[in-house]
Amino acid sequence: MTGAKQKHSVIIVPCSGIGKTYGTVSREAAYYLTEDARPAETRLVPLSLLVLGDEAARAALADSPAVTIDGCKLACATKMVEECGGSVAREFAVLEVYRRNKQFKPKGIAELNEGGQQLAQALAQEIAAVVDTLVSEESERGENG
Amino acid sequence: MPEYLETTLDKFIFKVATDRYYNREGVWAKFEANLVRIGLSDFLQQRSGDVAFADIKPVSSSLDFGEEVAVIETIKVDISLSSPVAGVVVEVNPAMESSPEAINQDPYGAGWLAVIEAYDWETDRARLLDHQSYFDHMKVEAEEETKKR
Repeated sequence: MTGAKQKHSVIIVPCSGIGKTYGTVSREAAYYLTEDARPAETRLVPLSLLVLGDEAARAALADSPAVTIDGCKLACATKMVEECGGSVAREFAVLEVYRRNKQFKPKGIAELNEGGQQLAQALAQEIAAVVDTLVSEESERGENG
Repeated sequence: MPEYLETTLDKFIFKVATDRYYNREGVWAKFEANLVRIGLSDFLQQRSGDVAFADIKPVSSSLDFGEEVAVIETIKVDISLSSPVAGVVVEVNPAMESSPEAINQDPYGAGWLAVIEAYDWETDRARLLDHQSYFDHMKVEAEEETKKR
């Protein structure tokens, strides 16, 4: 990772809910975002590493804003980032995104159905727009500072 | 504000409002001056999970006792809810369109589903459970659910 990338990276922390459809949607969205849609601007930090106290994962939160994706109202991703001292720039909940995209009904756990995959992509697109804004704001601050 | 019977199982607290009747699946019916307001019990909403969508029969729909009045889609399941009263739907909770999470947040209040003009409330009421009977029934169901976990 280059210095410039680090400066502008946004940390993505998805739900770690295993065996839950909405948890899988959150992780698929995170993979799509960090590997395909915005690979240069984002970095995925697994929630499990934060829970385990991984120093590198916690350090990443200290340097960059985080976007969390929660699969249920327990909001573990958001709570854990906050507990680690990170700055949550924006929290997404899969259920709320689904309410805006009723046509993409998610099913499946290990493997999502087509609706679930489309919902994950729609979620990733919403997050990508937020990432673009965060990166742009960071750039402006850098130029002014 | 209604009063409640309450039970705690594991980490869950389930409340049953004492001012209404219930069918066995957990749909409540509250008589209000010739009209009957309906909704989900606290146990039913907790067991079902966060509500994504609530599709309720529209105003003017005629319903038999036990006929499907709504379909609730949650993060876990799709549930068909049967009407605890026969009659005509006269009002649907407008909040269900934009904020169906009200079912989870306030199942006995803001999360009501519909108001039905009953054909014969007294007959239907006799087929429902009073709050104490539903409370006992719900506790058995909740204990069975807990054992499954």
